[in-house]
Amino acid sequence: MDAPLGTEGVRPEEPGMIELEQAAGDAARLHERDARVRETARAIECILLVSGGPVRVEQLVDAAQVPPEIVVAAVEILMQEYAARGLEIQTVAGGYQLATRPDHAEVVQRFLGAAGREPLTQATLETLAIVAYRQPITRPELEAVRGVRSEYVLERLEERRLIRVVGRKATVGRPILYATTEGFLRYFGLRDLADLPPMAAFGMIHPAAPEE
Amino acid sequence: MTNTRPGSYVVHTATFEGPLDQLLQLAQQGQVDLETIPLAEIAAEYLAHSRRAFDVEEATETLWMLAALIELKARALLPHPPPVEEPPAEEPGDLQELLEERLATYRVFKDVATALRALESYQQRVFLHPPEEPAGPLLSGVALADLFRAFQEVLARVPDRVEEVPPQSITVAEQMAAVLALLADGVEGVPFEALFRAAATRLEIVVTFLALLELIRLMRVRVVQDATFGAIRVYGRAARDGGGQTGGAGDD
Repeated sequence: MDAPLGTEGVRPEEPGMIELEQAAGDAARLHERDARVRETARAIECILLVSGGPVRVEQLVDAAQVPPEIVVAAVEILMQEYAARGLEIQTVAGGYQLATRPDHAEVVQRFLGAAGREPLTQATLETLAIVAYRQPITRPELEAVRGVRSEYVLERLEERRLIRVVGRKATVGRPILYATTEGFLRYFGLRDLADLPPMAAFGMIHPAAPEE
Repeated sequence: MTNTRPGSYVVHTATFEGPLDQLLQLAQQGQVDLETIPLAEIAAEYLAHSRRAFDVEEATETLWMLAALIELKARALLPHPPPVEEPPAEEPGDLQELLEERLATYRVFKDVATALRALESYQQRVFLHPPEEPAGPLLSGVALADLFRAFQEVLARVPDRVEEVPPQSITVAEQMAAVLALLADGVEGVPFEALFRAAATRLEIVVTFLALLELIRLMRVRVVQDATFGAIRVYGRAARDGGGQTGGAGDD
């Protein structure tokens, strides 16, 4: 659209003019990029609404047909805009998801007529924690930490799709190896496994943990 | 490390008193002689107990533990080959160290479990659109207890008579197909009771109920109860592969 044909070389421009034109061009490009990001943000908002789960940057790039940096910038805008809304954009399981804020859980539950969700039992949660931090892990290894048989708990966790079988260990008996799933990340709202709460070093004494 | 909830079943026999999971644990460690424990009595006692206070979760665990005990006892009653040489006992010092190390490790995991609990309770108060689709089984307004109550009502219709074991048994797979066929016709859904033939035997009812639970798990049916203690209706759902395009939470 700029630099019409044939004008170049005909009339030498003053240096100041060229700089001005360049600045105008930069501003126009910036403006254009900004408009593109905002439009992408609106499109991404739609995708996040209909997906009902985390959507990865690559998926957004594919759907919106824009480069990743535009997607990332667009999501940032959305996150800022949602800061004052009842919805929030979470970074979960390697993607973004549009979710209601926990502050409004009671209202949403009343509307849906849904009962509160059942939290995991303590034994299940502890087992899941061991699998999460020690994965991939076999049942005997897990039981060595817990000190009790864990067949049943593992089965329940597998059923809930929080863990899954990822292979067999190359030792005697070739025991099954378990690891956490993407559903696990979603369940706890974690971005990835590195997002797990930091674990104290082994053998470390916890000063503020009075145990009975 | 046993978790005894208040009101849960406690075993009372001449040689053992305590929660069932403890019995199982001791039996697995060989610290209790199962030949002296009457499992049939325990099962009968638990049945009586569950009639007073029924908890699906507890019943499931109890069933599993009783099965494990029966297996252990059956093994114990069979003649067995000469015992395997016990590995030499570890030095008491090592053992002490080992125990302490194990306890420390366990405590670390207990701590992270607490941190995970906080994340869980945040995320449990968060809703997505469409609500719960990939995660939850498709029960709307129905608690497992409601479903179970309805099941018991159907079961109660069967006259309590001694039956001969039918020569051909019914499989869960067959009943799953039958239930799906029943649901295929209407978008209207079918009342829960209609899943069971009027002349169905206890076995058929139980297997059909198992088939229904399996179909719920596989997200092939939706179960809806509009009012508390209201009629339960079952609806078919189109088969889906995986959990849509959202990356699939461990759908593999």
